[in-house]
Amino acid sequence: MTDNTAQGFTVPIGPQHPALKEPGHFQFTVDGEIVTRAYVRLGYAHRGIEKAAEARSWTQNLYLLERVCGICSHIHALAYSLAVEQLAGVEAPPRAQAIRVLVAELERIHSHFLWMGVSAHEAGFDTLFMYSWRDRETVMDLLEGLTGNRVNYSANLLGGVKFDLQAAQADSIRRGLDFLEQRTRHYLDVVSNDAMFLQRTRGIGVMTRAQAEVMGAVGPTARASNVGRDLRVEAPYAAYRDFPVRMALDERGDLEARFEVRIRELFESFRLIRQILDDLPPGELGVRLPRRIPAGEAVVRLEAPRGEVYYFVKSNGGDRPERLKVRTPTICNLTSVVRLAVGHQLADVPMILAGIDPCFSCNDRLVQLYQEETGEGRSMSWKDLRQYGIDFYARRQA
Amino acid sequence: MNPLAALFALLIFPGGLSLLAAGLVYEWVDRKLLAGLHNRVGPRWFQPLADALKLLVKEEVVPEGVNQALFIGLPLVALAGALSAAVYVPLAGLAPVHSFPGDLIVVLYLLSLLTLGMGLAGTNTLDRFSLIGATRTLTQVFSYEAPFLMALLGAAVVAGSLSVSEICAYAGEHWLILTQPLGFVVALIGLMGKLEMPPFDAPEAHTEIVAGALTEYSGRGLAFFHLGRSVELVVGLTLVAAVYLGGLSSPVWFAVKTLALLLVMVGLQALLARLRIDQTVGLWWRYGALLVLVQWLVLILIQRS
Repeated sequence: MTDNTAQGFTVPIGPQHPALKEPGHFQFTVDGEIVTRAYVRLGYAHRGIEKAAEARSWTQNLYLLERVCGICSHIHALAYSLAVEQLAGVEAPPRAQAIRVLVAELERIHSHFLWMGVSAHEAGFDTLFMYSWRDRETVMDLLEGLTGNRVNYSANLLGGVKFDLQAAQADSIRRGLDFLEQRTRHYLDVVSNDAMFLQRTRGIGVMTRAQAEVMGAVGPTARASNVGRDLRVEAPYAAYRDFPVRMALDERGDLEARFEVRIRELFESFRLIRQILDDLPPGELGVRLPRRIPAGEAVVRLEAPRGEVYYFVKSNGGDRPERLKVRTPTICNLTSVVRLAVGHQLADVPMILAGIDPCFSCNDRLVQLYQEETGEGRSMSWKDLRQYGIDFYARRQA
Repeated sequence: MNPLAALFALLIFPGGLSLLAAGLVYEWVDRKLLAGLHNRVGPRWFQPLADALKLLVKEEVVPEGVNQALFIGLPLVALAGALSAAVYVPLAGLAPVHSFPGDLIVVLYLLSLLTLGMGLAGTNTLDRFSLIGATRTLTQVFSYEAPFLMALLGAAVVAGSLSVSEICAYAGEHWLILTQPLGFVVALIGLMGKLEMPPFDAPEAHTEIVAGALTEYSGRGLAFFHLGRSVELVVGLTLVAAVYLGGLSSPVWFAVKTLALLLVMVGLQALLARLRIDQTVGLWWRYGALLVLVQWLVLILIQRS
């Protein structure tokens, strides 16, 4: 890394860098402005959430897992609730499922608006950044009015939801959506017609359909390459069976397509939310769950704003899970960044990275260890790690 | 000019302190208007002054592996270049303090010292972001400098002189924005390139290369570069306003003109996404240079007839 001539000129991005909102480490070897090699290292925001979940009761985990991601918090709590309900052999009532989907779609709107701002900022288009974040406040206010919280909505209970939807809230959501829809139409116009912005997005970071399938891309990133992957359509969960979604697809695969797919998804979310408000099924808000969940395993896959979220939950019949595994969409899409960056200009790299809507701390499930001298990877057992920690602090105190 | 009056002109008005103050005010107007267009609140009126003072009293960290004299000297040269350029331009709409035949060229080169200083400061350090930023800064110089220079020379041709005061005298009778609109557009956008304003901020694109050439600068050096840029904003606006918008005039009327130009620049900053460095070069040589050449062709044809 210190030798600039032997391996080419390497630009380190991260762990601390203005382009990154969370810690991650990238190395781009450049020839002039052209990237010739890209490398990623993760694990800077590893929080040990899976291990922590094993030490908490089924109910406490709802609180913990909502904090896996700061943007799509609801989808994690929802995935966990669905998995536990599956293990317990119960199903939340239709009204609860509809409210869950309602919150999930509001969350998608908030996430896509946030993403649009961040990507525009990476392209140096701060006006779009400021405007989309201003409009995002509308949907955050709606979520606050509905759930009492702007970020971690805490809408789920095991077996249902915490609150009912009042008529006044439904009206304010409809009004908010009208405003957002009008703004979204404007943004669609901007990202598909602004000549200067198109110079930065059209034909940049093109991922073909074959590439997207090989690299296992998910979510809007895959759909912009014409890969029809959307779990709301393919394997409908919660209330998506009653309120079907139309998939937004694009075949161009470049950054412009990713902008357009996400914005078209917004229109679909607006439509879906209005439909849920109109046809909200009557009934209970939850069912009782046993205190001890029967032994067994459950797998749940949901469509988060960024793509597929995968949950595996294993119970041994006790009052806490024996094993819990979370996989977030960023890890599936990161391969494409490293692959697509090669051959592009350094100036396009932040845009390509932002194009998958990365979320590092949600996706960090491991820490990579390197021998400082050789750069080779190594692994450590739990016992070694514990001993290393004791030695480290002993050395520091001495 | 007696020595006392010369010192006054250099240190107090119109150069020196009042120029620095004007630079901070214009920087504030720029930031505040841009914030308004972004739907933000923007800085308070004393924010640029507070920033400058804070940086000036801070420790200046000199990184390892740099030429220390250059590292400390370059910010001074850059600021001095911008300040000395002010002597030859009609600040506040008043006649230039000093004038000699051919001073237009000198002004343009003095204004380039800032960019050159920043480029050299970037190459002086070992930091990778600085090196890439410096490469981009210097690449950008070669793209906008020639069209900018040629645009202003168009004014010199019709005035029949390379002296700023004589061009101003000519411009007082003919508004060159009407007779040379293409040159005006190129000069104004060239000024944005000089100041590395968006969309020409690829050399300091912080989402790619942190702060570009100035990444390693802190404290006094950074303050000098920032002040130099503020001063250059005033001097550049003065030059463009005097040449294209009717030469010398009363200070109030002149301030209105420069602020109107600034408003146009702010609007462009808000409207446009950042250009990649290759797009910047392409834009200047494909369109900027072409526009100026068309302008020159028209001038030559008219002068012949």
